[in-house]
Order: sequence, then structure tokens, then C-alpha cells
Amino acid sequence: MRYVIVGNSAAAVGCITGIRKVDKENEIVVISYEDKCYSKPMIADVLVDFPEEKLLYRDKKFFEENGVTQILGHRAISVNPESKVVVLDSGELVPYDKLLISTGALPFVPPIEGSDKKGVFTFTELGSAKAFKEYIKENGVEEVVVIGSGFIGLEVAYFLREIGINVTVVELLDRVLGKALDRRGSEIVEKMLRDKGVNFVFNNTVERIEGDEKVTSVTLKSGEVLRADAVVVAIGVRPNTDLAKTAGIEVNRGIVTDNHMATNVKDIYAAGDCIECLDITDGQRKPLPLFPLAFEQGFVAGLNMAGKEVEYLGGLPLNSLKFLEKPVLNAGIVEPPDNSYEVIVNDRFEKKGYYRKAIIKDNRLVGFVAIGEIDRVGILTNLIRQKIDVSNIKERLVSLDFGLVDLPESWRKEKLVEDKTAYKDWRAV
Amino acid sequence: MERKLMKVYPIEENCISCRYCEVACTMVHSESQDPVKAYKLEGLKPRPTVEVKGAVSISVMCRHCKHPFCFDACISGAITVDENGKVNLDEDRCVGCWNCVLVCPFGAAHPFVERKHSFKCDLCEERGFPACVEACPNRALIYDFER
Ligand SMILES: Cc1cc2nc3c(=O)[nH]c(=O)nc-3n(C[C@H](O)[C@H](O)[C@H](O)COP(=O)(O)OP(=O)(O)OC[C@H]3O[C@@H](n4cnc5c(N)ncnc54)[C@H](O)[C@@H]3O)c2cc1C
Ligand code: SF4
Repeated sequence: MRYVIVGNSAAAVGCITGIRKVDKENEIVVISYEDKCYSKPMIADVLVDFPEEKLLYRDKKFFEENGVTQILGHRAISVNPESKVVVLDSGELVPYDKLLISTGALPFVPPIEGSDKKGVFTFTELGSAKAFKEYIKENGVEEVVVIGSGFIGLEVAYFLREIGINVTVVELLDRVLGKALDRRGSEIVEKMLRDKGVNFVFNNTVERIEGDEKVTSVTLKSGEVLRADAVVVAIGVRPNTDLAKTAGIEVNRGIVTDNHMATNVKDIYAAGDCIECLDITDGQRKPLPLFPLAFEQGFVAGLNMAGKEVEYLGGLPLNSLKFLEKPVLNAGIVEPPDNSYEVIVNDRFEKKGYYRKAIIKDNRLVGFVAIGEIDRVGILTNLIRQKIDVSNIKERLVSLDFGLVDLPESWRKEKLVEDKTAYKDWRAV
Repeated sequence: MERKLMKVYPIEENCISCRYCEVACTMVHSESQDPVKAYKLEGLKPRPTVEVKGAVSISVMCRHCKHPFCFDACISGAITVDENGKVNLDEDRCVGCWNCVLVCPFGAAHPFVERKHSFKCDLCEERGFPACVEACPNRALIYDFER
């Protein structure tokens, strides 16, 4: 038996962890075109000269101890499911018995005129982050335009301010994090970033990137021209399904898997940002490119690949805006799509520096936002996950001293006394 | 594989919400080993949380879950699981992304926002026996083999 994993990040490490719970013997091979297993969510740190060693997510020792062979610096270009081999760009063939595809996501770059000029960057890999940092140094960059105000765009903007660079974020919608956060949350985040010196242009977009060889400015849809010594395109990511397609694997918005993380092609599994994930808050399958989910899916895939049948619990949007002075956390549905949802708000942001909001449907919590005070909000995440009836504790959900005492006694008995904390114990009740 | 893990189990019927567990925890994790200095000078916070609602009270700390969601979510590699299933959080390695806070079903991974790292129960590994269990006057916390 030989396990092969394409990708060397969150889902891959989850998969190794899962396989080794069941199978301590057989060989595992990891393939990545990058040179190490670094923490992708931490790459913006390179902008502030954070030591690169600290970005390491799993070190050599981890791979050695788990009996994993790493093939680094090589791209898998195709998979042949008949002969069960992965073909590398070097021509090498890597045979597998069970294969995990965890090729992550690729930055989405819309067709903007001039986006091929020097000084235009995306920001989803350590390599691109380092190239951007180099460019800043070599060209004495003073003004940057960031396209898109999602998590990555805002994080880049924040770190650029940390090193004294002027930043303007251009956003198509009328607020930051429009798809990920509620209106009040966006307002608070925008204020914090403006205080940090970030400029925003809303309801607008970059129509053209100007300059000869290198970018010098951008022209907005409104006609306005902004100086830009560099541009970061951070509109979003899309599942990287190229490799899966070569194996004839079914792909929708991302790679399609079943509840065991298996694809429709025998012995090939998929996990992480490259797949379409079941969102338990609305029952829909969609890309949810988030670190905790990638790891968990990889873990479930690993268990199944090693022969232990385990069903994925399903995912939910989970975000933490990790760079701001005041933490901003949210999970599930943050803005009710229609009036069948109940919304409970505890907004003390102006006076006490915190904001809490809970979204309820059919007496079940389906989402929350917590800003400023975030201690213990994981209990809320679990209420969403386990679909626990909250009809008697609705107002408590937004209170800072909300706790396990608010949950049914039977839940406490099961979890705290009987210690039912294994994976399958977290299914909806 | 056999897991040989001992954990702290709370008994809610016995808890009288005296918070001795919180004080003992904070003290033994301090430089000064002094309860007042630990809170006031070192600014430390307790790892167990005593919750009270009406007549019910209970002390909750990290459960060292059989499936720790915090471990899945940890982006820095600060959270690790040892061969017995004990879940460790290396505060120096932690970068304060708050993912563990966001996913811990017990609210037992706490954010230390000012210091940019999370913290949680370490089962008093260095001491050998959990201070909270020792301090509890009413046997509302016991140190027992994993159930
Ligand atoms: C700047 C930034 C900040 C982020 N912040 C957060 C955050 O705060 N919280 C959060 O939850 N998520 C965050 N994310 C998202 C998070 O990083 C991803 O969800 C997570 O890394 C997904 O893991 P993955 O294993 O699916 O894929 P990836 O991490 O994308 O890794 C893909 C792997 O596949 C390899 N690969 C791809 N194609 C091939 C091929 N053909 N051949 C060989 N190797 C290949 C790559 O080299 C890489 O090793 C952030 C992302 C970015 C870019
Ligand atoms: S911090 Fe929370 S999720 Fe992690 S092991 Fe402890 S109780 Fe479980």
C-alpha cells in the first residue's frame, strides 16, 4: 500500500495525521511544487520582515517521524487512474494505491487591461508574497492599490501600512468584506483600518492598469486616476481543479466528493480549497477555502484512505480577522437572507468596544459575529454545528458570560462526564 | 493504540462556585507563584472558567478532546497532540489568529488579545498534578483516566 498526496499544506497535513491514526506502516509520499510546508495564512508576515523560519507549519521532523517522503519542487501534471500513477513535470511517474488531491486554490484574476505589467501581484503563495516584498524594496514603492476588500486584500493593506506604505483599497461593493461579514461588522472593520491609514474607494473598480513596463497608476471605472507603484489583485480564489480534471474526476464549482471525501474516480480522494464543501448552514455545496476545513477534510480523507470509514461532518464559513488590534470573528450566516431569520444584537462597540450578533432560524443558531470580546465563542460555533435547540437561550447567545451552563444538562453530561469528544460525537443532535 | 491520558473531570452537582480552581491555576502558572501578584502584576488569567447560572455552577477547562478541533484550526503549528492524546498549546509559537477560540466547542481555548496568543489548560504538566483539583474544596473536580 502506498499513499500519495499532491499538495503539502493544511489538507495534506490533515491527511497524514488521519492516515497515521490507522496505518503506522505503509509509505506516504507528498508532492508539491513549493519547497516547504509553510503556513499559508501567515504569508503576509513576510512584508514586515518576520523571520521566514517562523512561517514553517510542519518541519522536517514531522515528515520523518510520520514516515513521509517529500517530493518538493515538482509539479504533478497529470494523473492516470488506469495505471494509477501521478506524472510529474520532470517526467517521473509516482505510483499510488490511494491518492489525495489537495491542490488548493488559485487567485482569481479578472481580465483587467494592463495586468501583465511589472508590479502587479496576487497574494496567495509564499513565492508571490516574497516577490511582492522584493519589488517594494527594489523599486522604493510608496503607493499601492489593492483590488478587492476580502480577507486577503485587507490583510495586505494592513501590513503595508505597518511598513509605512500608502494604500488604497478599491472595492466593487459599498463596504469591506461584503460577502463575509454583516454591515455593522464591515463598518467597524473599515473604521479600524481607516484609523490605521488605509484609504478606501467603494462602488468602483480598476478598469485599466497604466504604465510602460512597470505599473505607475490605475484608472478607475469612475475615471479617477490613482497613483500606484504596485497593484495587488485580491478579488478572491477559485478551486484549483486542473490536476483532478486530467484524471477525469467530476468537477463542479470545485472537485466533487462524497461524504468520505472520495471523488467519483476509484481510490482518488480530494480535500481542502480545491473541493466543493457541504455548508451545513444552508445545505449547499460550495467552495469554502478555509484553513480549519481544509485540515479537517484532509484528516477525514486520510482515515478513509487507510480503511477506517468516517463521514465528514460538513463545513461552515469560519473567519477570524487575525491582524487587527481588536479581533473580529464570525461563523455561519452573518446577514439574514430573508425575514424567516431572527437576529439578536448586542452592540456596545462605541462605549465598551464589543459587538455581538446571533442569527437564528427555526430555533437553531445559524451564524454569529463577535468583535472586540471573543472569549468562548467556539461554543456558539458548536451550537451551529450540532444544530442544538436555542429557543430558551436566544438572548443569552449575545451575552458575554454565555457558557455551557446555558446548554441542556444532557449535553454537559455527554460531553463533560462521558467525554464523548471523538469526531463522530459532534454530529447534529 | 492505547491512550494513557488522565484528565480533569468536573462534577457539576458538587461545584459551589468558589473559584478556588481559577485562583490556584493562575497562581501556579505565574512567575511569582503568588495569587495576588499573578493577577495584578503579571496580568494572568485563569484557564478554567467557573460558570454560574441560577443554582447551577460548573468549572470548565480544556477537555483534551479525542478530536480536537483546535488542532485542525491552528495555522501556526502551536497546537500539537501527543501520543496519549494530550493537547498542547505552545504560547511562544502561537501567533494569535484566534482560530482555536473560534472552534473550541467548550470555550476552553482563551484569547490573550494584548499578548497575541491563546492559552488553555495544560493539565499542570510541569507540576505533575492539576492545581485546580488540589484546590477544589468540594470534590467538584477530579483527576481521572480518560473515559
Ligand atoms: C494571505 C492568505 C491569508 C489567509 N488567511 C486565512 C485565515 O486567517 N484563516 C483561514 O482559515 N484561512 C486563511 N487562508 C486560507 C488558507 O490558507 C487555505 O484555506 C488553506 O491553506 C488551504 O489548504 P489546502 O491544503 O487546501 O491548500 P493550499 O494551502 O492552497 O496548498 C496547496 C498545495 O498544493 C500544492 N500544489 C498545487 N498544485 C500542485 C501540482 N499540480 N503539483 C504539485 N503540487 C501542487 C501547492 O504547492 C501547495 O503545497 C488564507 C490564505 C491566504 C492566501
Ligand atoms: S482547546 Fe477546546 S477543542 Fe482543543 S482540546 Fe481543549 S476543549 Fe478540545
